[in-house]
Amino acid sequence: MRTARLLTGTALAVAAAGLAAAPAYGAASGYSSASASPDPGSLEVYPATVAPGAEVIVNTAACGVEDTVSGDAGAVGAGAFTLVPSAHEGNAVGQFRVPPSAQPGTYEIVARCSSGTRMAGDLVITLTSTREGRQQVHPRGSVKTGVGGALGPDPVQTAAGVAALAVAAAGGTWLLHRRARGDGI
Amino acid sequence: MRRFSNISIAAVTAVALLGGAWLLRSGAETHAPPQPSAAQARAGAHVDRPAAAPLPPSPPDRVRIPSIRVDAPLTGLGLTPQGSLDVPPAARNNLAGWYEAGTTPGEKGTAIVAGHVDNAEGPAVFYRLGALKKGSTIEIERLDGTVALFSVDAIEVYDARDFPDEKVYGAARRPELRVITCGGGYSAATGYQGNVVVFAHLTGSR
Repeated sequence: MRTARLLTGTALAVAAAGLAAAPAYGAASGYSSASASPDPGSLEVYPATVAPGAEVIVNTAACGVEDTVSGDAGAVGAGAFTLVPSAHEGNAVGQFRVPPSAQPGTYEIVARCSSGTRMAGDLVITLTSTREGRQQVHPRGSVKTGVGGALGPDPVQTAAGVAALAVAAAGGTWLLHRRARGDGI
Repeated sequence: MRRFSNISIAAVTAVALLGGAWLLRSGAETHAPPQPSAAQARAGAHVDRPAAAPLPPSPPDRVRIPSIRVDAPLTGLGLTPQGSLDVPPAARNNLAGWYEAGTTPGEKGTAIVAGHVDNAEGPAVFYRLGALKKGSTIEIERLDGTVALFSVDAIEVYDARDFPDEKVYGAARRPELRVITCGGGYSAATGYQGNVVVFAHLTGSR
């Protein structure tokens, strides 16, 4: 019983030391993998405005993984093309070249999943070279990309700590209880 | 005969006390995101090293920075009414964005990628961006199937009150990339005081 009392005393002393010592802590790592998908049902056309002769990329997430996807740029005179699954899960990507003879205007580019879903997106043809000639609008100023959420206490860890202390309190009470009953402590 | 000896109860109590104390202490500590050292800043007179030949335009799909364990999808970003770069939805902690009206990564010019350092729940996609080193590789997976490879030239911290727009967003003669997140000092009243900005140039593709 002396041993037990000694142990409890030692435990308290070590715990006090633990409270005073600065613990090492590894940086939190919660890099789960998620994917950003465009709105289902739509066909993304990039660039949305081009000059005749330009290369255009279309992309959709509306088809199933098993689907084959066919594209139709016949409206702008580029004919049919195929969309192939990209490394990006659920996305199908296709490419076509706008004929140099294409006239300015807005054209509907269409794609169909083999399951039947039809998607469409607009392509604008302008005669002035858009990408190279265009004066890009640059962003201004700083970017608001944080709120300080990494700085506060970690709620999960705090809860676990409180739970562990509750267990310790219960254990201590139990020991005191035995001692009060004269159970040989 | 008692089921538990005093010794075992005392041992469990001690372990719980120690563990609980450690958890409470470390959980309450502040975990400020790493910030770049002065050695990672641009060296004196800046001379552009030649970059790889530009790639044709293609929207990007994913950003990977193996040295700081970043692997995140990219969403398109526009501008806020004030003209600053918009940000991805904060609730998604592993999502970054790219400036859609600008240069696509790999093309000649300055492509811009931005993401959160943290959100209300804790660290986010670019939490460790400030720990990046010169010469590290940034991979941008593009929708046309190519992966544009960039090499880091410098990591800078800029105060929001004196943000060098031209240096960060201005046109470049070679294919370049900027990766931006929040940084600098933090105050509860005003939040992060500036941005960590990574400068990189295209070195190849695969």
